[in-house]
Amino acid sequence: MSSGALAKPQMRGLLARRLRIHMVGAFILSIGAGAYYKFAVGDQRKKAYADFYRNYDSMKDFEEMRKAGIFQSAK
Amino acid sequence: MAYPSQLGFQDASSPIMEELLYFHDHALMIVFLISSLVLYVILAMLSTKLMHTNTMDAQVIETIWTILPAVILVLIALPSLRILYMMDEINNPTITVKTLGHQWYWSYEYTDYEDLMFDSYMIPSEELKPGDLRLLEVDNRVVLPMELTIRMLISSEDVLHSWAMPSLGLKTDAIPGRLNQATLSSTRPGLFYGQCSEICGSNHSFMPIILEMVPLKIFESWSSSMV
Repeated sequence: MSSGALAKPQMRGLLARRLRIHMVGAFILSIGAGAYYKFAVGDQRKKAYADFYRNYDSMKDFEEMRKAGIFQSAK
Repeated sequence: MAYPSQLGFQDASSPIMEELLYFHDHALMIVFLISSLVLYVILAMLSTKLMHTNTMDAQVIETIWTILPAVILVLIALPSLRILYMMDEINNPTITVKTLGHQWYWSYEYTDYEDLMFDSYMIPSEELKPGDLRLLEVDNRVVLPMELTIRMLISSEDVLHSWAMPSLGLKTDAIPGRLNQATLSSTRPGLFYGQCSEICGSNHSFMPIILEMVPLKIFESWSSSMV
């Protein structure tokens, strides 16, 4: 027979504890997913368009396309 | 234009389409937020034997999951309405072009100065030249000046069609007996492709649209040569 009594195990509030932990975890995960998408995709896209148009020369672009022969109206 | 294995929208070539891209990013971010939350909760609920067997009410959580979705919907609606009103801003178009849908081709009319009208048929696959795009090339393209605001009046001579240009954020139904107006502007020169977007019969998939955006001087000499 064992000499000492075991400590009384936690018998109440197990689900509540689990819910608390996972509620926090769920919100951290979902806000993290949203933040990741916003910064990695959304803000990157805005930056890409801003960078493209910052020094964009539409006439130069047009001349390159015209030389490539894609237009019907400008050979 | 569209490319193989494309997942998202085509690159924007008009300010409105850029705004629509950013709005889509915003709405999709919210979708991922909610979906990841729900997925996590489902997995957490399925991975335990613990249960609460005498739940009588849940006032706090019911309040939270009523108010929070309402807030999320407002956060989606505000940018959406902003873009909606932006599309209807007064912008004083420089020219007006009419397009009429037919079975199964588009016809275009530039009648501001001279009477210029032409039909635009798809080039059949057997007649394509090397480098041409299957089911997208047309014989007469819609040549327009770039970086200017253009009014498109869209209608149909027979059944419903729809004049769509994804990279400019345009899709307007062509309804017989009705004139629909769309405002078009492109920030860049080039070729922009679209396809009929309302089922209109057997060759619905074979009436594409090509916009050729060129500088104003080139547009003027093209339209003089076409009259």
